[in-house]
Amino acid sequence: MPLFLLSPALVLLVGIVAYPIGRAVWLSFHRLEILQPDLTRFVGLEHYRALLQDPVLRIALQNSIVWVVGVVVFQFLGGLVGAIILNRRFPGRAVVRGLALIPWATPSVLVALMWTWMLDGNYGLLNDLLVKAGILSRFQPWLAQPWSALPAVILADVWQGIPFFAVMLLAALQAIPEDLFEAAKIDGASAWRVFCHVTLPLLLPTILITTMLRMIWTANYMDLIMIMTGGGPGYSSLTIPLHAYYTAYKRLDFGYGATIAIVQVVILAAAIVLYLRQLRANEGMVQ
Amino acid sequence: MLRLCRIGRLGACLGVLAVLLIAGSAPEPLHAQAPTLVRYWLWLDDPTEPMFDQLVKEFNATHPTIKVEYQLVPLSEYHDKLVTALAGGAGPDAGRFKDWWLGEFVKLNGLEPMANSVAKWPGRGDVIENLWNTGKITEAGPVYMLPHQFITFYLYYRRDWFAQAGLKPPATFEDFLAAARKLTDPAKNQYGFGLRGGAGGQDQWLAFMVAGGARMVDAQGKVIINSPEAVKVNQWYIELFRAHKVAPPSAPTDAYAQVLGAFQSGNTAMMAHHVGSSVLVTQKLGAANVGVLPIPAADPAKPATMATMSGNVVFAASKQKEAAFTFISWLSENAPMDKWSGSRQGQLPVLKSVARLPRYSENVFFKVSLDGANYAIAWPPLPGVGYVSAQAWQANMQRALLGQISSKDMLDEIAKALQR
Repeated sequence: MPLFLLSPALVLLVGIVAYPIGRAVWLSFHRLEILQPDLTRFVGLEHYRALLQDPVLRIALQNSIVWVVGVVVFQFLGGLVGAIILNRRFPGRAVVRGLALIPWATPSVLVALMWTWMLDGNYGLLNDLLVKAGILSRFQPWLAQPWSALPAVILADVWQGIPFFAVMLLAALQAIPEDLFEAAKIDGASAWRVFCHVTLPLLLPTILITTMLRMIWTANYMDLIMIMTGGGPGYSSLTIPLHAYYTAYKRLDFGYGATIAIVQVVILAAAIVLYLRQLRANEGMVQ
Repeated sequence: MLRLCRIGRLGACLGVLAVLLIAGSAPEPLHAQAPTLVRYWLWLDDPTEPMFDQLVKEFNATHPTIKVEYQLVPLSEYHDKLVTALAGGAGPDAGRFKDWWLGEFVKLNGLEPMANSVAKWPGRGDVIENLWNTGKITEAGPVYMLPHQFITFYLYYRRDWFAQAGLKPPATFEDFLAAARKLTDPAKNQYGFGLRGGAGGQDQWLAFMVAGGARMVDAQGKVIINSPEAVKVNQWYIELFRAHKVAPPSAPTDAYAQVLGAFQSGNTAMMAHHVGSSVLVTQKLGAANVGVLPIPAADPAKPATMATMSGNVVFAASKQKEAAFTFISWLSENAPMDKWSGSRQGQLPVLKSVARLPRYSENVFFKVSLDGANYAIAWPPLPGVGYVSAQAWQANMQRALLGQISSKDMLDEIAKALQR
């Protein structure tokens, strides 16, 4: 009976999750002829050996680490500040809370196009403001320089993702009993000490789970990069999922593309296991 | 009496019912049989224009045995969606197609050879003869892509800026570089040339490469894009950005929108493109301020530019090949061709009879483009061209522009990709 009641969820899990993963693993051991599937052949570990000799994969891996860490850290910090502000009482707070969600609600393609034009090296808004403010002496081609292309895309994604952290942390903040803050104030704790010893420990479970989710989503997220820089200039903003996509759909090498994607799955799985261990350890400390 | 009336009414009802049933089961007349459905995919540079919808309605009205249903797909996603749809058995019967993909799809047996259909097609003789090769793998082989609309690259230049600077429109590489340098003033955010290192820039690059004397393949079809001559020309092109700095700093990632925007906004003095942008450029800047030239050549005695064809194909998996060919060959007839070329899509007609019409022969942008067709060179029909045009060229061009790799390294990578 329990299995019967679970069966719709199991069917979905198998169909939407297990089958595609299994199919990707199968593809990684085959050379697929996309329009002539009868000619598809087993190639063993050929694609996995190719990983070791792929210089572009090494670059994509480095970029992916910078991308994930940069986005998640700044989204978290921005979201935390946002949540603290939105938790205070001020006129129009309800309206501000609603408006704060706009970046999160904006489709990724629009975010990418908007930021591409704002960062444009000839007449972008950001360049114009920075030159007029005297911070820059001339316009910078943010998306055309290897050192600034990935940070520019990170900026766009941070802008888009801050509301997610803000909303999640705001909900967690509101769940903290007021008595704890009052007791800490009565004991003479400064605002900073209240934050460090009351707020942060109680926010920790929410912080850890939202950070883990954002790490996974950001690692797999390629829309912004694809539209803003295409992974360029050169390979300076190419990440693993984008490398897998180009390999599969532009080189029509679906087998090797699947292999690259599996590299990401393995790395993410290892990161999540370590993260969950840390999460459990921290939960133990809080208790 | 009452009973007889009831029986009579019941009998009348049953009689009417019987007549209705018999009439409903009669065989349908021939003209009510469903027409053959042909699914057609295409992209349009300006999808808001109703031209193609009108063409399809016209075809369906004049060909009652065939019904065409079309789907618009953006060019940037067209190749991916086509591959996925065909692999999943849900592809169209026919579709608009680029010469970039010809070698790749023929190798995958994705296209139907149309030699027999083309041989019987009455419009065959009106197609500009050398354009047939854009739809073939070898000159003697069958036609896989019916030529439809093509472009050749030329150079826009700011007449007003050239006049103020006392410059003549450039005919050679030397004149071009001299003019670009004179018209570059970074302090005013003005640059001589809108070099396109971003998506789609491979066509502009190839135009300059062939104008400089480089070739993708030799007469036997062997890849020679990394020959010493080609490396020199490519180095010249890279130095426009790296050494002479006549292109905006954003050039490595500038795509069509950025290059066009820079030219329209007065940030660049020259822009390489094709007739498809002539309306946009002249509307913004005024026809008096915009001139058009053939791509300058390294040797004026050997002019060259690149041409790229957007044709129509029938897919090998289609079950309606004959009907599909009827539609795509109709698109290449005189009146539909004129309608397409005269629309905002604005590409060059492949038919001699249409190219002779005053609206093309007396339009300077069409004239320069069509003249260029006499010496234009297209991408070779190699399986690797799809990958080069989609990704390999852009990544390697950007690395070369940024000094991460040399001209030779870049062309070696392109050669490797072409020979996949």
